Amino acid sequence: MCFKNLPIAFDEQGNAYLKEDIANPYEYKVVDLGQEQDKLHSLMEKNGYIKNVDYDPVTRVAGALAFHSVVDLKEKKVLSTNSMATLFRGYEIILKGRDPRDAAYISSRACGVCGGVHATTSALAIEMALGIKPPPLGIVMRNILLAIEYLYDHPLHLFLLAGPDYSEELVAATNPELISKAASAKCKNKNVHGYDTILDIMKDLNPLKGKLYLEALSMTRVAREAYVQIGGKYPHPQSVVPGGISVTVTMTTLNEVYTRLIKFFDYGQKTTGIWDDVFDFFYEQDERYQQCGVRPATMADTGVWDRPDFYDASFENCDKWGEARWSTPGILVDGEVVTTKLSELNAGLEEFVEHSYYEKWQDHKFLTDDKGLPLSPNHPWNKDTIPKPGKQSWRDRYSWDTCPTWDRLPMEAGAYSRMYLTAKAQKAPASKYLENTGHSMIIHVPKYNLPAADLEWKIPTHWNAFERNRARAYCIPYSAMVALENWEIAQQLIRNGETAVSTPFEIPQKGLYKGFGAWGAGRGFLTHHLIVENGLIQNYQILTPSTFNAAPRTPWGAPGPYEEAVMNTPILEKFDTPENYKGIDILRAIRSFDPCMPCTTHIMAKDTNHVVTREVTTCACGIE
Amino acid sequence: MELNKKTLIGTVGYHILGNHSMPPMMYLHLNEMSWPDHVKVDELNWGPVAVVQMMEAESPPFEKVIILCAIERKGRKIGQIDVFRWLGKLPDEEQIQACVGDAATGVISVENLLVIGEYFKIWKDEVYLVDVEPGPEVAGEKWTESMESSIPDVISTIKRLALTGMDDGIDIKYLQGDTLFTNKIVTD
Repeated sequence: MCFKNLPIAFDEQGNAYLKEDIANPYEYKVVDLGQEQDKLHSLMEKNGYIKNVDYDPVTRVAGALAFHSVVDLKEKKVLSTNSMATLFRGYEIILKGRDPRDAAYISSRACGVCGGVHATTSALAIEMALGIKPPPLGIVMRNILLAIEYLYDHPLHLFLLAGPDYSEELVAATNPELISKAASAKCKNKNVHGYDTILDIMKDLNPLKGKLYLEALSMTRVAREAYVQIGGKYPHPQSVVPGGISVTVTMTTLNEVYTRLIKFFDYGQKTTGIWDDVFDFFYEQDERYQQCGVRPATMADTGVWDRPDFYDASFENCDKWGEARWSTPGILVDGEVVTTKLSELNAGLEEFVEHSYYEKWQDHKFLTDDKGLPLSPNHPWNKDTIPKPGKQSWRDRYSWDTCPTWDRLPMEAGAYSRMYLTAKAQKAPASKYLENTGHSMIIHVPKYNLPAADLEWKIPTHWNAFERNRARAYCIPYSAMVALENWEIAQQLIRNGETAVSTPFEIPQKGLYKGFGAWGAGRGFLTHHLIVENGLIQNYQILTPSTFNAAPRTPWGAPGPYEEAVMNTPILEKFDTPENYKGIDILRAIRSFDPCMPCTTHIMAKDTNHVVTREVTTCACGIE
Repeated sequence: MELNKKTLIGTVGYHILGNHSMPPMMYLHLNEMSWPDHVKVDELNWGPVAVVQMMEAESPPFEKVIILCAIERKGRKIGQIDVFRWLGKLPDEEQIQACVGDAATGVISVENLLVIGEYFKIWKDEVYLVDVEPGPEVAGEKWTESMESSIPDVISTIKRLALTGMDDGIDIKYLQGDTLFTNKIVTD
């Protein structure tokens, strides 16, 4: 019984049904956010230390995110938060009425980093809708491609976007007392990364000049070089199609990939060693850092990397092939696994727009899925995207992001969720390089220049900003080992003469078909929900990790993950006057989620209904 | 004046944005034109960081870079062609970081390319922008007539910059990194 809040129950045979005797089963309470605002205004009038602290835009994130907070600088507490996606995207509108074969290419443009996962998720949605099963090599090469995409994305986050928050330059400006301590703090993992003291690491985390910053830039090149062997180009691959991939794969292709992939064996060891040392240092200096960005480990993940002997694209078998993935799909509520079934993950999804610039839709076209699981009118298959630009108000609507929930709970998403769920659930089939213990994931990294090592990522006690980043570091060797295992399978398939990489298909010109693609982005959870009617896309809905993470309040007033994480963040920065306050603790909390607003948000031309595609990947636009 | 400098003609811009997409659409045409061996044409939309890495690996380096772009600027008519020479200089470090962050997360921007290229010292001697006014942004694959009629001049300007000396009768304006994001154009 995974649903506690939605009116879905299961009989003794495990068949789902809508609870009876409830007049309006999907009803929910809408609270007035104005009361909270009135209280805050009254506090601000009485207390000069309570200030509005606005970050607009939040820098070193992908895209247009603004964040409003009310902070008591005397008590060093955050009193209120609002996360704002400041642009409209509109892919849902762009894709309506198009040939489904366009979807992978167009939706890929939703992001300038994770175009490959959007293309793949789109392909998966079409495969499910139309019953297209790719051949084994197509599945395996897709796994490798997307593992490599993560190998581009993780260093980027760790060293270019979030990393500078822990650099000598920023720490000296916000907590100078830590610098002298860092100078004498010895690194535990010097044998893998070569740094003697924490300050040595911090110096190389300095943006633009630090060796670790520059090394990350060069590692993104290594990942791109491997990626284009399969994808043709980066970030928007040309070869991801429903039914597999459209590129011939030979031993040469695999060798070209391998010579790049092995560089991540050592880099994975080095990166995990660095971040373990840095974050342990912060905890040792002040245990209140454990509260930075803390929130319950309540997370959703789609799982990724299909097993060629399980994946058949069907909705009917999605629970089986989902659980067979190298990373397990599912839901965690307060650190406990609630489900690992893709069908239940799908059925629990809803999107709300009470605090977003959209109109509520009226239809409830799909009452159940094909297994009979009841679907809410707010489920993505039932959703209609109706933009309604308006005035920004903390009392009412303040974001272009919607509010997605699972079983009416705000969910966090991240690459780390995939690691957490997989380690905790212990559902993933046996792997040569990965071991899930229920409390950790052990990653067996082979020798390259460094000796082979067993890296262990442990489920942390507190789910906070530091642990998000630490887990992200472990996602580098995790992704590299999945890529390696798939590379070995690909080699074997080619040796066996199983060289087909795609399955031909036709778009039926009559009838209604629905499917959803579920595949994690570099930043976690990603679904594309698709309805094809008479040969054309009738509805297309994209739910990205940052749609979850950047969400505004639920209609019943629960904060979105960024909002909650920042609310729980203690102000540990040292400052003399409010004017000197830089807000580093809040920024660490937000950046630990690796916000990606191009995926999340939307843009349309001012004063029109005209959807503009350009800014979708520009990330650099102001608020209209 | 040294001729036959190793030259790169690059195009930068988003697709399917009407006049704003003139540069990437012109890439195919420019690439099919006959150029001497020292001139190469490439699309530079694939990210300033990747362009830096490509330029760093290029030996010998490009001595002259000509970038075709279409940036909306105040006070210009659609199709108006301006040639800017990049004078270098950098904005503050926070701005450079923002440029790198945008670049690594997929932004296509000439300004980012110039600044990141400057920071990583890939620009050697001459860097020019051939910048054609696109007017307001609209979605679509078509250009307006004014843009269409500017194309012969765009091509001849690029040819003159690529094949002859830098000041060969072309009215040159100047851009530099420390004023780039305040929209200041240095008028010499």
